[in-house]
Amino acid sequence: MAEYVYDRQQMSEGLAAIIAGNSSDAAREWLQQRLQKAASIPQFNQTFTAVPRFTGKNIIVVSPEQAAVLQQQVPGFFVHGWTLDRLIRAWWLLQLDTSDKAVYLDTIEKLFLSAEMNELAALYSALPLLAWPEEWKLRTAEGVRSNIGVVQEAIMLQNPYPARYLDEPAWNQLVMKAIFTDKPLHLISGLDERRNTALAAILTDFAHERWAAGRKVSPMQWRLLTTFITADNMADLTRVWHSADQTEKAAAALVFANTDYAPAKTLLASDPALTAEIQSGALSWDVIAAKLSQN
Amino acid sequence: MCGIHELTEKDLQPLTYTPAYLDKIKGMRFFDPHVHMTSRTTDDYQAMADAGVVALIEPAFWLGQPRTGVDTFRDYFNSILGWERFRASQFGIKHYCTIGLNSKEANNEALAEAVMEILPQFIYKEGVVGVGEIGFDDQTPLEEKYYRAQLELAKEAGLPVQIHTPHRDKKKGTQRSMDIAIEHGLAPHMVIVDHNNEETVKEVLDRGFWAAFTIYPFTKMGNERMVEIVKQYGSERIMVNSAADWGISDPLAVPKTAALMHESGIDLNDIHLVTYINAVKAFAQSGQINEADFDLAGNIDQREKFNGSTVLRGGQQPRINKNTTIIR
Ligand SMILES: [Zn+2]
Repeated sequence: MAEYVYDRQQMSEGLAAIIAGNSSDAAREWLQQRLQKAASIPQFNQTFTAVPRFTGKNIIVVSPEQAAVLQQQVPGFFVHGWTLDRLIRAWWLLQLDTSDKAVYLDTIEKLFLSAEMNELAALYSALPLLAWPEEWKLRTAEGVRSNIGVVQEAIMLQNPYPARYLDEPAWNQLVMKAIFTDKPLHLISGLDERRNTALAAILTDFAHERWAAGRKVSPMQWRLLTTFITADNMADLTRVWHSADQTEKAAAALVFANTDYAPAKTLLASDPALTAEIQSGALSWDVIAAKLSQN
Repeated sequence: MCGIHELTEKDLQPLTYTPAYLDKIKGMRFFDPHVHMTSRTTDDYQAMADAGVVALIEPAFWLGQPRTGVDTFRDYFNSILGWERFRASQFGIKHYCTIGLNSKEANNEALAEAVMEILPQFIYKEGVVGVGEIGFDDQTPLEEKYYRAQLELAKEAGLPVQIHTPHRDKKKGTQRSMDIAIEHGLAPHMVIVDHNNEETVKEVLDRGFWAAFTIYPFTKMGNERMVEIVKQYGSERIMVNSAADWGISDPLAVPKTAALMHESGIDLNDIHLVTYINAVKAFAQSGQINEADFDLAGNIDQREKFNGSTVLRGGQQPRINKNTTIIR
């Protein structure tokens, strides 16, 4: 397997261009100085740690052209909303020598081991950029188990690495952890593409548990049942459809609109207004996500 | 029927209990520069936030039993830099820490050497506002050796030092700690001498060091004594902390002491200095404290999130009324 699955040079330059537009002269000078020492591992580590002290943590501004350069190299890789220190840390990781795979892997793994939470968030958001990407699956699964919100979000939200590399059980674990911790599911990259039968079963089980405890089930989670409707889970979706909560009903309608399962189609047809809303685009998962965020 | 009075509408309302001292300090903000949150429950963070604590420092210290390897030190440092900081942020409290090898564990030489090797990896991390808490416990040669080595680290990194002074032979231990710091070229304004009492305060202040006081039941200071000290010595370079840990201690010691000072007629400005400003000033010499962050912390780390309000829900903790018997 290749070390980088994209053109490292292009990506590094793309990130550097964004850094240039968002940092002070002093910060860039400091980085330039540190670059000369990057070949020494202790110096490489110390720079990674010290970044915010010298660059600040402003939220970066990214132009559509700059974003397109990154996207071209790694589809789905976003830096929107990142702080400058996180961006620079991601770029810094690309400056690590890859001529010895064992040394490279060991250095990155040790950065994870002694990272504080902003460093962890930077490392996990940079997963799609790391060399030998298949080597970071276990590390990612470990990060999903974290109890720290910013760390979980760095892995789960707008990060193309998990959908591309995690095997099914680890992926399902990630989705369930996102649900448990009340993350905005629609921001998980590859959510629809990686729907699967096992996850659909876990989710209906989970819904039964929630209902038995008198708790609510997030309407967003039903999205994962689309294309996996069976006679078994149709009863649950029918319950959601008949909910007094309009957002829940809307979620069921969206699931039904995208399935070939006949009983679901019939139920949806019984509400022409809702059907029309979906057809016109006035109702979508993004609309539901926006509604939920207002609660 | 005995003992049962007539139920009124009022009796059926949920109890909301506000201790009287909270009224006296309403609207005041506090900085607790020494508290071991790793030994406390999340309820404590909630109570501290409610009492006006906006920021705190967690010094690296002794967990009650000796650690057997350097990995457990690494994990401990990681946890006070990571999980504790996150837990505090959930309540809008800005969490900083000081990193160091404590005096008790300096007595295990092999382990101490290994810890010294990893310290440079940690003291440059974000939010590390000093090297601490270091100094003397039994005043052994090994304690002195690692105290000196860590003063050198602090000097090189330009970080303040937070000194733990011993329970036994405190006066001599405090003097020695200051002498050695000066010998290593640390300016007194870069050194916070902790756990002072009536016996040590004068010399610490006279020599230009920061004098921190720990309000800790039975073993250290009571806050009535603290009131007297502020009356006598004023508010310059004096700061109050709780040093709350796994012992019988009180994470609300700083706000409670402020309330008592207020009740005792100490000027509000002096209270503000000893329970907030002085500690901020002393540790801000690390370049790692920005008061504006205290307000941002109240936004539950919004800067780290993606699309603003959508994600914010995830970070917020439900508030629980602890005075009802119903648990949901
Ligand atoms: Zn302590």
